[in-house]
Amino acid sequence: MTTKDIGPKNPVQKGTEATIDYVDERSGVKTGTRWFLFRNIPAGTSWFQTLGFTAMVVFGMQAITGIILAMYYVPDTKGGAYQSIEYITNEVTWGWLVRGMHKWGASVMIIVVFLHMARVFIWGAYKYPRELTWITGSFLLLLTMFMGLTGYLLVWDQKAYWATVVAVNIFASAPIVGPYIGDILRAGPEFGPATLSRFYSIHMLVIPGAIATFIGLHLYFIVRLGISEPPWSKRRLRIERDEEDARRAAAREKAKALPGSVNYPASWPVEAKEGAR
Amino acid sequence: MKPADKKAYDKDYAQAKKTGKPFFPYAIYKDTVIAGLTVIAIIVLAITIRVEVGEPVNPATTDFIPRPEWYFYFAFELLKIFANQNVLTPVIMATFMVPNILIILLVVWPFIDRGPERRIWKRPFALGLTVIVTGMLCYLTWLGANSPAGVAKGALPVSGLDEQATKGMAVYMANGCGSCHMVAGVGAPGPGPDLTNEGAKGWDNAKMIAWLKAPKAPMPSYASLPPQELEDLSTFLNGLGTKYK
Repeated sequence: MTTKDIGPKNPVQKGTEATIDYVDERSGVKTGTRWFLFRNIPAGTSWFQTLGFTAMVVFGMQAITGIILAMYYVPDTKGGAYQSIEYITNEVTWGWLVRGMHKWGASVMIIVVFLHMARVFIWGAYKYPRELTWITGSFLLLLTMFMGLTGYLLVWDQKAYWATVVAVNIFASAPIVGPYIGDILRAGPEFGPATLSRFYSIHMLVIPGAIATFIGLHLYFIVRLGISEPPWSKRRLRIERDEEDARRAAAREKAKALPGSVNYPASWPVEAKEGAR
Repeated sequence: MKPADKKAYDKDYAQAKKTGKPFFPYAIYKDTVIAGLTVIAIIVLAITIRVEVGEPVNPATTDFIPRPEWYFYFAFELLKIFANQNVLTPVIMATFMVPNILIILLVVWPFIDRGPERRIWKRPFALGLTVIVTGMLCYLTWLGANSPAGVAKGALPVSGLDEQATKGMAVYMANGCGSCHMVAGVGAPGPGPDLTNEGAKGWDNAKMIAWLKAPKAPMPSYASLPPQELEDLSTFLNGLGTKYK
């Protein structure tokens, strides 16, 4: 930037700059943004490394559509829940779309999170120093599955109800702690009004809070440690080729030193390459 | 990873970063493209395949098909595999052991695989695990999607029913028992065990009614059925394979 500053500044610009400086002086927001946005990442970063961001965006979309649904949804087992779902689907402007996006978003989020995990696993990206990033990520996967489970009950139709009864029974069948977990999930020994409001609160307060917290930790680790480089990036492959060449050259030297070994011509291509460097 | 390997990695990564590109705009551009396409895909799905409103909940009628969302099909199919409840395939394997082993493996995996190698073709164990786990998940999900959802309608191929057992069979059909159990080849092959020879256990009606009211998970309780229906159903079940074949 070589713009020359001539004359008095535009007062709007001056005011804006003063405000930014004021905030930055107290919060470090400028430094923070620069640290976050303009940090270098390895050049070979691939399209496969967009899945984590995509999962986060889908989570954001689920949050927005979920908030809209919560404006109309009533967690009432005496017909209120079912009627509010009917109302959202049939009466509310764009309600069917918001509900459709929320339901499809859940499926897509699970697919994206799984693909993201597969990418990290196949690339060995969980290895040093990113072990804790993986652990926060594995909790995010479990929370996402739990989100699917608790959300399924809220529509309060026959299919959802009985599937959730069976799922909660499975939790409750675990040894020792199972019965307690079952009672906590059901809010008592039986499925009833308290169960629905409990699932509602878990689905829209407890798990989203936990997911947001873990996303924060996950992101902090990613920015602090840097995104992993593909194990087969151009740079890595070049280094591996060079290492291989060096290894071969060393083996030849060793072979030369041995009596009765073959004498390689001086114009051996690898050595020529080594010499050129 | 050994300290020398860690040091080598740190050095190599620092080099990669030094010769790298800034996060903004290079990575954020790719991120935005894929995330944008995904959101568009969700909207298109929401418009083309509309969500429906199902039947309202009625805890009194247990005429249901306990099918979870597709992303839990694998767990549901696992229940069917371990439905026989014998020593070799106890149901606790599907409800507790297998899921928890998988969860623990998932969380602690970075501490199991600590070698410095990152290229998948040089990590045969990790590659094998990827193929097997992904294959199993896909296969079980596919099985779940294609499992017969129907509750057996009409009559079961069982003969020799007396009056009470006929009533019991009607209760069995009306409450969707066939969506989890099989009798003489009719009904779903799981998650519940095959009931064709249920009578061979030699239970009396009191024991069967107690079981129906408080069964072992994942079977739901049938305590909401009227006492007479429970009596009829128990008579029917306790005679299966012995009196009624």
